[in-house]
Order: sequence, then structure tokens, then C-alpha cells
Amino acid sequence: MQEIYRPQAGTPVEDLDTPCLILDMNALDHNMDVMAGYYEGRHSKLRGHSKNHKTPAIALRQIRRGGTIGGVCAAKVAEAEVMVHGGVPSVFVTSEVVDPAKIQRLCTLAREAEILVACDSEANARDISRAAEAQGVNVGVVIEQETGLVRCGVQEAEPGVALAKLIDSLPGVSFKGIMSHQMMSEPSSDREDRVTEAHRLIQPVLDLREAVLAAGLPVEIISTGETWSYDVAGDMPEVTEIQGGSYLVMETGYEYMPDFHFAGKILSTVISVPQPGVAVGDAGARAVGGLKGLPRVEGRPGVEAVDMDIDRTVFRVDEGIGLRVGDQLTLIPGQQDAMVSRWDRFIGVRNGVVEVVWDIQARGCHN
Amino acid sequence: MERPIFQPVGTPEEALDTPALVVDLDVMEQNIDTVHGYFRRVKPDTVTLETEACVRPHVSCHGCPEIMQRQLSSDEGRFDEPASCTGGVAVSGLGEAEVVVGAGINDVLIAGRVVTRPKIARLVALARDNWLFLAVDDLQNVRDISEAATAGDAIVGLLVDVDTGYGHGGVAPGDDALKLAREIEEMPGVALMGLTSYEGPMAIADRSELEAQSRQRLQRLVDTLEMLEQDGLEVQIVSAGSTCNYDVAADISGISEVQAGVYPLMDMETIEVRPELQHAARVLATVISHPVAGRAVVDAGHKTMAPDFGVPTLEGFPGATATRFSAEHGILELEGQATEQLLPNDKVRLIPRNLALCFNQFDYVRAVRDGKLVGYWPISGRGRLG
Repeated sequence: MQEIYRPQAGTPVEDLDTPCLILDMNALDHNMDVMAGYYEGRHSKLRGHSKNHKTPAIALRQIRRGGTIGGVCAAKVAEAEVMVHGGVPSVFVTSEVVDPAKIQRLCTLAREAEILVACDSEANARDISRAAEAQGVNVGVVIEQETGLVRCGVQEAEPGVALAKLIDSLPGVSFKGIMSHQMMSEPSSDREDRVTEAHRLIQPVLDLREAVLAAGLPVEIISTGETWSYDVAGDMPEVTEIQGGSYLVMETGYEYMPDFHFAGKILSTVISVPQPGVAVGDAGARAVGGLKGLPRVEGRPGVEAVDMDIDRTVFRVDEGIGLRVGDQLTLIPGQQDAMVSRWDRFIGVRNGVVEVVWDIQARGCHN
Repeated sequence: MERPIFQPVGTPEEALDTPALVVDLDVMEQNIDTVHGYFRRVKPDTVTLETEACVRPHVSCHGCPEIMQRQLSSDEGRFDEPASCTGGVAVSGLGEAEVVVGAGINDVLIAGRVVTRPKIARLVALARDNWLFLAVDDLQNVRDISEAATAGDAIVGLLVDVDTGYGHGGVAPGDDALKLAREIEEMPGVALMGLTSYEGPMAIADRSELEAQSRQRLQRLVDTLEMLEQDGLEVQIVSAGSTCNYDVAADISGISEVQAGVYPLMDMETIEVRPELQHAARVLATVISHPVAGRAVVDAGHKTMAPDFGVPTLEGFPGATATRFSAEHGILELEGQATEQLLPNDKVRLIPRNLALCFNQFDYVRAVRDGKLVGYWPISGRGRLG
């Protein structure tokens, strides 16, 4: 069930109970402002992905700070419910929703907010149409195009056009456009590399767009790009929305995007110094996540994570550092969303004291 | 919080809203019987029943009081057999200890450390009404606990944590352990109860290798026990072992309790080591896309399965293999006759590689018997890492 820790605002970081998930508010605001600044006055806008933070307070904060389309992406229906109930007026569910009961819930949400959903099969489009029509709502349907993840999505333009035509002909749904998601095959800070890679990967989306336009259908939304390509996809004239999410909390895996600062971290306490040169901390995989390797210790040169199990991390400590039982360590995760999905609260910290505590309301919203 | 759609008792498992963490009660009860039965076995040549090792279920891997109670009640009605349980449980941390005390257990071994001042205050508050056995490996930490317990009019039971080879904390076996034990013996507010060790993940499929490694490490604990006893220190608890080597640990003279945890439910890490146990926990997932022949995508990704230590195994579908897990998508590769199967809305079962990490992503177990829903059991210990 839920963790129960909620410290008082003003509490110094060194007094926080550990392990806990802290959010550096200066870094968070910086990351939000980078996006707000970039998309200000551009044809394309950010539709931030809420799967990364699962927190309406954060979604609404980015919307207020600017640069967004006025809505978010969500990965699951339950996540979309949390966002809509939390006050977000437009939510794009970027996974296929096929289960009849979930389609019902999706349509119910469309009574309260603008709802878009990804789709890659004709049978699914028909199911959504039937449910939406029965509920008297309209659901916007966006075709997912495969662009290198080897996951979901239509594979080629031809079946994509056929699916667009079908959606356009069905009641209760509107054909809205095309989406895709892609990762850099070899992460690189070099902008030219990112431009080349983004254009290469996103090209099938643009091809499908051309084909759908040639078939006489309007394409309102092209939703693609993410943290690594926010300033590349955002410059493409056809692209209307970017789905970035990792930029908010950040992780060592995205260090090649130095525009964004590390905001989400685990505060941990040294619980054992079994021998010189070794320290053991109270945060393990259940706290930090271990999908993309071991966490990095922030601001402590000479202290390095070397092993992790369920509830502990083992650190190698250079000679002369003198880490003691009770000392705090701050850990930057390898993968932020795997870390965030293990917590119920962000403890927002600014300049060394607690500023705000946000509930991660959509934690566990898998369905 | 997870937001499960609560469906009526009696709903068939395949009709559950997904992703759903399911526990098959028949299998779970069989596993509990198997392990506890081993500890109940009567050995006529044993000196006294008191020297027999018992199970102290380590419940952090599931955090579910309903499952814990079924482990602890395993001996009920068996009046003519030795008990298999110590009557208490083990947990990783203080937050989880508070949860199990809340669930009615007043005998709790805390395998992790309690070092900060606020946590020590909570520990002392809990120790006033319960038997707590806390693992320690640091003299200053022991002094801090002693001071707080004395001021709080409580006694905290302490176990010297011995590093028998895992290297994740603990004092060295032998003299270092003896030294710390003597210090504890002299201090007020704390009681030296004995020794504990986690000898590390003994996921060794080769039976003789598993036994050799377990014995080698546990021997260091038993040797330390001997030193303490020769020194005149009274030792009541020697707690070690795990599901992987429960029978090896149980048969080593001197070990009084075995901290097995995963055995009621099992996972892929342990099932290869303990073929007499079956996996009782699985995640039911739904196919959401079959974009090309040879590939299906399910609605359980890494936020559901937590495959940090390895991907889950797809159960009961020849030709289909779970290969990759992104945040919300699990990718199944399909071969042979499965190539065109597993279409949207079909259900699959995924067995987690590591049970504790998978349970950490859920708030409820869907308890199932004979393929039908029995109830939603809260995973009360989830998230109580602090």
C-alpha cells in the first residue's frame, strides 16, 4: 500500500527520513522553463508524457509555465483518469486500449475532457467507435506508426491509409493524425547526430502523413519526438506535438541531453561501514530501480555504487573520504520512470529545505 | 495507488482486469506445506525439540498480511508434531516491521539497520509492546539504541549481523562479532539475543554446489556461535538461510531459525533451485497489439513486472517468449505455430524473475482458487521502505 511519510515544509534535507524520493525544485523549474522557452511562439507544442511523473500537480505546473498544447500524454486508462480527474483538460493515451471494459472507461473520460487514443488495428478502431457512439461521446483516434522500437504500430503507409479511412468513416471517433515513439540507437550529445537520427526515424510518420493527405483526409496531429529530440522534432514543420517526459525528472541515461538538469533523486543513509573502503546504503532496487544500471552518487567524488540488491546499495569509498554510518548520500537514477513508479510521493526540495510534497497519484495505475 | 477494478468473487481469472497480480492459493498452500513440513519432520535422534530449526518467514518479498498469516498458521491442528514456525517473522526494515505489528504479529526480526535518530525513536516505541530482534553491526549504532531504549523504558533485542561472505554489511565472523556481542551484553536497554546472517542469494541450480557454498558460509556463523558460547554469552537465536537453501540451513546444528521468504509464491530465480516448489504468483496481462506475424505486445511493461534482475517468463504458451519490457509494453516473440496467435484481448501469464520487485509495483494480490477470484488482498508492506 502507500508509503506514509510526509514531512513538514521547511524541514532541512538532512532531517529527512530515508530512503525518500526528493525532487530538486530548482532543477525541475529549469527543465520546465527550457521546454516553455523552446515551444513559446513555435508551431509545435509540448504534450508532456505524464507516465514519467504520474502527478497531476506536475502536469498542471508545466501547462501553467507554458510551451504546452494544454494537455498531456498518458500510457494507461487509469493514468488518464488520474490526469483528467486532477484537472488536465486534454489527455492522449499513447498505448492501444483494446479491452472492452477499458474502452468503456476511456469513453467515459471523453465526457469530461478531450480524449485521444493510439490505435494500430481496424478491429480496435471499430470497438472504440461502437463504445463511443453508445456513450454519445467522441474519441480522437491517432494511428500509431512503428518507427524503430519494434513494438506496436502500423508498419507501412498502405495499411495506415486504410486504417485512417476506416476511422474517418466510423461514428463516435474522429481520425486525428499519426503518432510514433523512437529512441536514439546510439545516444549522442551532438545536435547534428540528433537531427540526422530524428529525421531518419520520424520519416515513416511523414510518409504516412503524405499518403493520408493524398487520400483526401486532413491530418490534424503529428505527435512524435521526445526528450532527446524535443528541439529537432519540434522544428519539423509537419510535427504538431512532442511527447517528452523524461526531461522533467532526468536520469543518468539522458545525461547526453545537458539542457536538462537532474531533478529526481533518492536520498539514502549509510547504514553500515563494514570495512574501510566499503559503505552500505539503505536504498536498493525497490527504491531506485536497477533497470539501467547502478545509480550515481551526487556531489561525492570518490564514492561509487558497485552493487545493489533489493533494499541495499554497496558503495566503494576512496581512501581518505571517511564515510560514516548515518551520513546521507544522494543517488541519481539510471532510469527515472522506473524509480518514480516505485514511490507515492515527491518531496520537493529547494535550497536544502522541503518546499512541497506532491502525491504521485498515478503510481500503480497499470490498468 | 493501484486503481484496480474490483470484480465479484468468483470471477474467472482470465476475466480479471489487467495487468493483475494473481496468487494461486492451492499452489501457495502446497508450497507452505512442503517447506513447513520439512521443518515439522520428527527426527527421533535429535536431542530435544528446542534445538530443531524453525522457519521465520521473511515477509518483505510479498508484504501481504493475508499470505503471512497463512505461513504462520501452518502448524494449526498438528498437535502431535513439532512446530515448524518460530511464531515470528522477519522483515527488511522498520517501516515493514510497523506494518506486521499492525497485522497482529508481536515477534519481528528486522534484518536491516536502524541508524537515524527518528528511526531509533520509532524502534523504541515499537519495542515497548513487541519482541523486536534488530540486526546490528556497528558499536556506535548499538550505543545510540541503548541510550534511546533506556530513556524510553524499553528493551530492544539485538542480533549481531555476521558477514558470512555476501559483503553487504555485517561484522566479520569470529573476533569482531564476539567483540560486538560482549559490548551489547554490557549495555542497558538492549539484550543480546544472538546472531544473524544473510549469506547472499544462493540461486545455485547445482544441488551439491548449493549445499557446499551454503555450508561453507553458514559454518562461519556456527563457528562464531561457538566462540560466543565459550565466552559465556547466552545465545537464543541464530537466524540465517533462505528459500534456496532452507533444508541445508535447517540441518546445520546451531542454526535455530531459517529466514525463508519466497517459498509460498516462488519466482523464476528460485524455482530453478527448488523444483519441489511451484510458482504460485503470476501477472495476468492482455495482448494489446499484434502488429506483425511473430510479435505480440502485452499491457504489462517494466512498471508492472520490474524486470531489474531479469525478464519474466511467459507461462504455458509454446513458441511464445517474453523478450523485452519497456515502461508499459511487454514484447512477446512468437515462433512456429504461435506466430499468428496471441491476438488483441488474448490473455497471457507472466512469472516474475524476482518476486519482491514485482510485488513492489502492486497494491493488491488477486487471490485465486480453482481458477476463480477469492478476494483482493492488500500488499500492506509495499512502499514502507523508510
